Amino acid sequence: MKRIFAGAALAVIGAALLLTGCSKKADSADTVKLVYWSMWNQTEPQAQAIEEGIRDFEKKNPTIKVEINWNGREIRKTLQPALDNNQTIDIWDEDLERVIKTWGSYSLKLDSYLDKTYPTTEGKAYKDAVMGSLIDLSRFYASDGAVYAIPYQPFVFAFMYNKEHFQKAGIASTPKTWDELIVAMGKLKAAGFVPMTMDDAYMDTLPGYYLARAKGYQWVEQLVNDNTNALWNDPAVLQMAKAFEAIAKAGYVSNTVAANKWPAGQQDVAAGTVTMYLNGTWLVNEIMGTTGPEFPWGTFAFPSVPNGVDDGTAANYGAQAFQVNKNSANPEAAFALIAHLTTGAWDKELAQRSYGVPVGGTTDWPVQLAEAKAIFNNLKICYPWAGGIQANTDKLPVIVESFTRLLGGTITADQFVATMKR
Amino acid sequence: MRKNSTLPMKIIFLGPAVFCYLVVFLYPTLRTAFMSFFKVDAITDALAKWSFTGLGNYASLFKSTLFMRSMQNIAGIWFYGGLLVFALGLLFAVILTSGVRYKAFFRAFIYLPNVISAVAMGTMWMQYVYSPRYGLLKNVFGFLKLEKLAAIQLTSPDYIFAALLVAYCFGMVGYFMLIFMAGIEKIPVDYYEVAVIEGASRWKQFVKITIPLMKNVLRTNIVLWTISTVGFFVWSMIFSPLNPEPGTVTPMVYMYQMIFGANMVVTERNVGIGAAVGVLLSLLVVVVFAAATKLIRDDDVEF
Repeated sequence: MKRIFAGAALAVIGAALLLTGCSKKADSADTVKLVYWSMWNQTEPQAQAIEEGIRDFEKKNPTIKVEINWNGREIRKTLQPALDNNQTIDIWDEDLERVIKTWGSYSLKLDSYLDKTYPTTEGKAYKDAVMGSLIDLSRFYASDGAVYAIPYQPFVFAFMYNKEHFQKAGIASTPKTWDELIVAMGKLKAAGFVPMTMDDAYMDTLPGYYLARAKGYQWVEQLVNDNTNALWNDPAVLQMAKAFEAIAKAGYVSNTVAANKWPAGQQDVAAGTVTMYLNGTWLVNEIMGTTGPEFPWGTFAFPSVPNGVDDGTAANYGAQAFQVNKNSANPEAAFALIAHLTTGAWDKELAQRSYGVPVGGTTDWPVQLAEAKAIFNNLKICYPWAGGIQANTDKLPVIVESFTRLLGGTITADQFVATMKR
Repeated sequence: MRKNSTLPMKIIFLGPAVFCYLVVFLYPTLRTAFMSFFKVDAITDALAKWSFTGLGNYASLFKSTLFMRSMQNIAGIWFYGGLLVFALGLLFAVILTSGVRYKAFFRAFIYLPNVISAVAMGTMWMQYVYSPRYGLLKNVFGFLKLEKLAAIQLTSPDYIFAALLVAYCFGMVGYFMLIFMAGIEKIPVDYYEVAVIEGASRWKQFVKITIPLMKNVLRTNIVLWTISTVGFFVWSMIFSPLNPEPGTVTPMVYMYQMIFGANMVVTERNVGIGAAVGVLLSLLVVVVFAAATKLIRDDDVEF
């Protein structure tokens, strides 16, 4: 009997505690709480800039409190189950294409917010304060052409290179065509540098970009999804394979290229032994720990190829992006926070700290990305990742395996094509 | 009357265990099997969003070159890795139970890789031992003037499977050695004493006494090895962290990609295919278990 009483007493105390908890919440109804699930780990420079930006926002808006949940890239797995279970999450972020295509149905349409002005947009509407190409890209990924995500931290995929090597090798201007690239590689080799390397993680970008330059990215997507394998007979495929076979034979790639496991290859670039590496502009930040800020970074677009259709105006570019939950109780406050982080001082701060590109696009590019600015301004066509070669995730590993052998010099161009047709 | 009176007791004692089993094991198993006949976009999708595809998921699995490659890979790991691990495990077990000095030290030493996290071990193999630039093997072969061996690029597509296999087995030997040792130590010493008096060689003792009396242990080890091979995931992910590679892909990695999507690009996900992989793998374990039980019979020897 005694135990039952004790149990009942505990239950009453518990209930009382719960009730006081509730009443406390009711008292502070005038403060707005936003919950932000972040794709960053708290130790990353982007996270630190964002966190400081958020604290600054709270200071300027004393009625708004922001709770941050640092997920890191695990958010790709954690967010959706949480949303499905109606957990309170107002804002989240990840890659622009991913957020729209994967979580678009959970997010709020933001078009009406783009026309408003915010304290950091200098009297302009939000959409006029940021790079138009990024907002266009956001619309491009949505099935109805509306804006479901606000891009920040833009990147472009291009050749990242060591400018000092180019100078020492006597290369006056960056290559715009494949032939110019081969000439430049010859000069680099003659000057004692290893012209290029690659890691397993990005290996597919080399054939992907070459083929996209030759025939357009839609064709590359058709190629990899062609179940009959007939499209692999197209002369462009053999031309691509021959082009890389020639590079391998001439010794223009690092001799460890077939065995490079990310980040071994990019560390060779950081160490100054290799000159070029096809990658996103995020590379500067990614290997900053090894290169230091003084590294002579240069950037040039993937060159056009013989008989090709695309040039430097086409590239894979994108951004990280914020989304607002369509069930958010405070969408106005959520967008105000996003505007605070993606325009003005904090946009600049984020770009500087992570050696990235500012969303404003006009000023304050980090010195390491000065040459990337020209590429950004020229962009007309957005390639999918690796020029579309990843469209078939089942075929991709087979392509990468054979291409790695081709670039490593253990198979010929004809053998590569034959393997692809099997 | 008596029967009835024990029923409440049975319920009280068995209830929690049965309930836990039903909720934690049986329900997910049945749900996964059920799910494998549907196309499901996200793992948390409500039942209403599933669309029935019949055996479609299984059909697309058998058509997928990557999945078939993954099955080949685990077959290779099971067979070649099994031979390597069992041979070395048994050898060490026999040596350590033969009265060698510092037994406890060697036992701990060989078991040590199991204590270290697989992620740390894998990264060490991948980024240090096999590195074509400053790798341990490259340096050792170079030092021994075996230039041809030193020049082999162990993480290139031609060698990556072998590299993965060796690295994985290195850690597993100690684990199976311990189980073999326990088995050997259970065999009464008298048998060996008699054999020694009769003049049997060490090899003969091993073949005629140790092996026949260890059938049980061997069977258990085969089942354990099969389960760990079927669940092969971490090492594969360490050897190709971003996208699966034909040389290292395993069904679990394939399943992961189907459920959570590819790493780099946004692709269609189908949790149903992931579930189908799960069902196939479970069947595989059951088949091997049944075969092992049938082929390796107990001889009703009691000791």
